[in-house]
Amino acid sequence: MNNAVLHAIRTRRVVRALTDAPLEHDQLRTVLDSARYAPHAGNRRLHRYVVVTRPSLLRAMRMVSPGMLQRPMAAIVVCVDWAKVHDYGFPAASPGPYIDVGTAAAVMLLTAHSIGLGAGPVTSFSRAALATILNLPDGVRPELIICLGHAAAEQPPAVRRQGGPSWDEVIQWERG
Amino acid sequence: MTSETADESVRVLAEGDGLELLAYLVTAARTQVDEAAEYAPMRLLTAAGRLAEMVEPNASAGLRSLLREVRQGFSETTVQAGDPARYVERLDALCRSVAEYLVRSQGLDGSP
Repeated sequence: MNNAVLHAIRTRRVVRALTDAPLEHDQLRTVLDSARYAPHAGNRRLHRYVVVTRPSLLRAMRMVSPGMLQRPMAAIVVCVDWAKVHDYGFPAASPGPYIDVGTAAAVMLLTAHSIGLGAGPVTSFSRAALATILNLPDGVRPELIICLGHAAAEQPPAVRRQGGPSWDEVIQWERG
Repeated sequence: MTSETADESVRVLAEGDGLELLAYLVTAARTQVDEAAEYAPMRLLTAAGRLAEMVEPNASAGLRSLLREVRQGFSETTVQAGDPARYVERLDALCRSVAEYLVRSQGLDGSP
């Protein structure tokens, strides 16, 4: 099937090794702005996006992010603004804000891939440490980091596990 | 951290690298509270691999081979579920290598 969107979806991979080649500002802006087009609950802009390109900040971020195997040339931190979430009327335990972190991340990862960048999401990091390093306002909590750069030729192997269900085994058609 | 050689003790870890590893370990302890149990050995092995990478340039020749074994033994994406039996076997083998190096480097192989 000659469909550019489907092709991008099917060929995107989590990139865990990046070169030290710099990103163009326009590339970073393109990835960042794509999050505007992700589906968000109520379209109320309950999230904040922190862009980091300073090498010393990126290095400190990696130090407090055990899940960050990459050494990114730039990073976009997706944060939830909990004051706005409460004002909007979401209960504290609502999964909505987290779901929207995921939709924004998916769109940005795909956008990065579509313009030839390597990108990988990171959720294993200390929220407290990262909020301190980035000097985030109270109530703005970092939830996901998009690492950006140019993919290295050699990548760590994908995470493999035995005994998982097949794709069809996790699908239910109609009523179960 | 220092590496013991036959007649001297050599500093092998720069303060910045030590800080990086310290931050990794402290924050990994926190993230592990919310993560699947299989991540725990993976994080520890990642820390070991990074320590080995930091130490290797200034390490003694004898230690360097152990450091390479640590670095090459497990990729940072290897989890036990990939091959449970083999994973434990490889960890045991790595532990034996560490112990064998300790015996040699600490002079434990002679008579008491």
